[in-house]
Amino acid sequence: MNSVLLINGLIGGVVFGAIYALIGSSLNVLVGVLRIINFAHGEFILAGGFLTYVLLTYFGINPLVALPFAAVLFFAVGYVLYYLLIPRLAHSDEPETASFLLMFGVSLMIVSVLTWIFEADVRPINFSFDPINVLLYTVENGYGEGRDAKVLVPTARLVALAINALIIVALTWFFYRTLPGKAMRAAIMNREAVQIVGIDIHRLSATAFGLAASLAAVTGVLLTLVVPSIDPNGGADLTLIGFIVIALGGLGHPVGALAAGIIFGLVEQVSNVMLPQAAAQMLGFMILVAVIFFKPSGLFGLERGR
Amino acid sequence: MKVKRGVITGIIGPNGAGKSTALKTMYGFLTPSRGTVNLKGERVNGLTPSQMVARGVSFVPQNRSLFNDLSVEDNLHLGCWHFRRDRARVSRAMDRVYEMFPVLRDKARDLAGTMSGGQQRFLELARSMVLEPEIVLLDEPTAMIAPKLSRELYDFIATLPEHGVTVVLVDQNVRQCAAVSDHIYVLDLGATRAEGSSEDFGDDEDLKAMIQEWLDYEID
Ligand SMILES: Nc1ncnc2c1ncn2[C@@H]1O[C@H](COP(=O)(O)OP(=O)(O)O)[C@@H](O)[C@H]1O
Ligand SMILES: [Mg+2]
Repeated sequence: MNSVLLINGLIGGVVFGAIYALIGSSLNVLVGVLRIINFAHGEFILAGGFLTYVLLTYFGINPLVALPFAAVLFFAVGYVLYYLLIPRLAHSDEPETASFLLMFGVSLMIVSVLTWIFEADVRPINFSFDPINVLLYTVENGYGEGRDAKVLVPTARLVALAINALIIVALTWFFYRTLPGKAMRAAIMNREAVQIVGIDIHRLSATAFGLAASLAAVTGVLLTLVVPSIDPNGGADLTLIGFIVIALGGLGHPVGALAAGIIFGLVEQVSNVMLPQAAAQMLGFMILVAVIFFKPSGLFGLERGR
Repeated sequence: MKVKRGVITGIIGPNGAGKSTALKTMYGFLTPSRGTVNLKGERVNGLTPSQMVARGVSFVPQNRSLFNDLSVEDNLHLGCWHFRRDRARVSRAMDRVYEMFPVLRDKARDLAGTMSGGQQRFLELARSMVLEPEIVLLDEPTAMIAPKLSRELYDFIATLPEHGVTVVLVDQNVRQCAAVSDHIYVLDLGATRAEGSSEDFGDDEDLKAMIQEWLDYEID
């Protein structure tokens, strides 16, 4: 019996872990390139989820079609939002604190807009693939004589995982193989030097903001495939997960978040099925505290110049 | 302050005189509250560094400006940002810079942060050259590097005017700066105290005494 539970936990861990990795990567781009603590990140994710919900519920549009649409739309939103909000922060006496408060305000605004439109209700996502589940394998007599235990995974979760993996591969390629990607990593290492080589720091930052918003929205779309409901108040938890992944993976590692996300997902999901709930909730945070304590730069170190 | 085309103009002065501030203002990192910066008759204050790069100006700041966790090649490649879409020009620029600095070709795949301080300085200088700049602003290029490399760096800087490059050289090392500069400005407390060619300075006893005084500060 335990082996089936464990396998389910592991699969869930990879599915959620990949989502967490994506949240960590996009938040990392923002924190790294813009030096902005984005408190609204979870709300960007929710906004992508609600976009999917609306398109599906009122227009019958498949989330897989909503995905590229959300990606492009939110890139544009992030790009424009950067120019509207961030450059004027530089005139503030305390740009970091100001950005912190500003993004907190943006997050509250998005939550109020969402609760205004959708009320404070959790909304169901009525979408599934055919077949609904994929049978991974069967443990004969797993539940005692004559009762086989089947390891079933919702098709939607596998699809989400596959898309997630593709996005992570594409991101890695972008950050490590293309010049704009290297420019973003360079900005994480040394923001001043990026200007010295003649890169327009505002354009680069706006692009990073757009990329982060786009990835966040895509994460929201994928989440609707993984969890068949969406809650307008769920944003803060998602933001928190993003920061946990950054703390584990190391700030400024755009893709170092991958391992951290998967580790956190596995610990969370496996302990969910194996341990009492309170203990399970604590374990993830214990790992976080331990990493901050013993290796403050994260499991994969800090990628930063100077 | 005037910078003549095709020669080296030196700026010297004690710590805190405003030398770096002057260069940063020329490069568009800072906007002057008074006065103007003109480039070939065009008023350029208020322009950003990337707009200055577009006008053929490059800058090697006093502080290290490399991307430590990127390879030497990637660092140079980012120096091509302004013309990155012109593939042919990028590959020409890279070839040219490797020819100028053969050591860098051997280290192309090393991370910039793993090189010695002197090599990093060369890499920064090399990166400022990929643009084939008309004007290079150098802020204390030889500060804190070994004497042998420092001499090599000076030899390199001295050849720049032959290639039609205009150089503004900020330096604490008065003697070396004077040796390569066509014209020198002496800054103190944010203002020009004196200017002239290195020969003029040789005759000015007051100035010599002043410079001697800074040198004394710096020794201890
Ligand atoms: N013209 C100026 N007006 C106002 N402040 C200046 C001026 N020049 C220099 N400063 C200030 O003096 C300090 C030292 O200047 P800096 O350029 O770093 O000196 P240096 O490079 O000669 O050691 C800086 O804090 C700078 O802001
Ligand atoms: Mg200085």
